[in-house]
Amino acid sequence: MIKQGNVETLVVLQPIAVDTGSSDRTGMLVMANGMLVAVLIRLDAPEHENPQGWFVEAAFGRLQGLRVPAFDTLEDATRWLRQRLKP
Amino acid sequence: MQDALIRKLESFQELTNEDRGALNSLVPRFRHVGPRTDLIREGEPPEDIHLILDGYACRYKVLPDGQRQIMAYLVPGDFCDLNVFILDQMDHTIGTVTACQVVDIPRHAIEAVMVDRPHVTQALWRCALVDEAILREWLVNIGGRPANQRIGHLMCELLLRLEAVGGVRNNSFSFPFTQADIADTMGLSNVHVNRTIQELRAMGLIALKQRVLTILDVGRLKAYCGFNPNYLHLRNSRWSTGRSVSWLSSGSGG
Repeated sequence: MIKQGNVETLVVLQPIAVDTGSSDRTGMLVMANGMLVAVLIRLDAPEHENPQGWFVEAAFGRLQGLRVPAFDTLEDATRWLRQRLKP
Repeated sequence: MQDALIRKLESFQELTNEDRGALNSLVPRFRHVGPRTDLIREGEPPEDIHLILDGYACRYKVLPDGQRQIMAYLVPGDFCDLNVFILDQMDHTIGTVTACQVVDIPRHAIEAVMVDRPHVTQALWRCALVDEAILREWLVNIGGRPANQRIGHLMCELLLRLEAVGGVRNNSFSFPFTQADIADTMGLSNVHVNRTIQELRAMGLIALKQRVLTILDVGRLKAYCGFNPNYLHLRNSRWSTGRSVSWLSSGSGG
């Protein structure tokens, strides 16, 4: 487990394989304060606009329904999620 | 190129030579508009009626957070705003996707044709009604179909609409839309659009190369996304026989 916390929200990433119906299958469960808030997926299929980027495949609660472009790195994605989850 | 409108109207119903002459007089000259250019913006008062003769345009709105939603694709022969001129201001924006040949028809010219040519009037009403029917189908598409079927459905629709105006050759047609365009049309992310197109390719249903889309197996794609062309109301489509409407042909416009 990778812990990337700050004062407001403790965000924890947990690797998981995800069936997206494509070759994108490396994922991370994103937990905030012990609850699942999003699933990130690494874009491994070569046809993607930004291959190897990280994409918010699914999101819950306050993050639900947001359409965001893929992030270049896992760190960028996590930073964005943490900002969005600030109380 | 100028006959896109006539071909489209004739895909709905028969026109006389006089009807065709009246329509040709509506499009005396066209202008060239570059790609990704707004023809008229939300909030502006509609004046002329825009007709696309060549190229693709779209209707869209932009939400406060910058998210764009495309509500319609406009292809050759399509009026952008046949009835909108009756309203005081545009409630959405019309912009080109590709470079377009556009005709600006003054509203009085349309009104004059509607008075003089009943067949043309009927055909223009049909245009407006079919635009509404397409919008209804898009609502069903976005609200009711999974992503892969949604995009397949759009491809089937474009095939038929472009076929009616001579824009299809060997089941291939220009498909200039970016992944972002399709995402903003279908309420999906770019990533899902990309995956879906790869899936349709892998199933042998489509080929997409240099912005030309080829439907490799029309019957299978149609079955795959449950495509029923009834909402396009085409008279001579290969998938629908249309119906003869006696009260239309018995009108006094002939």
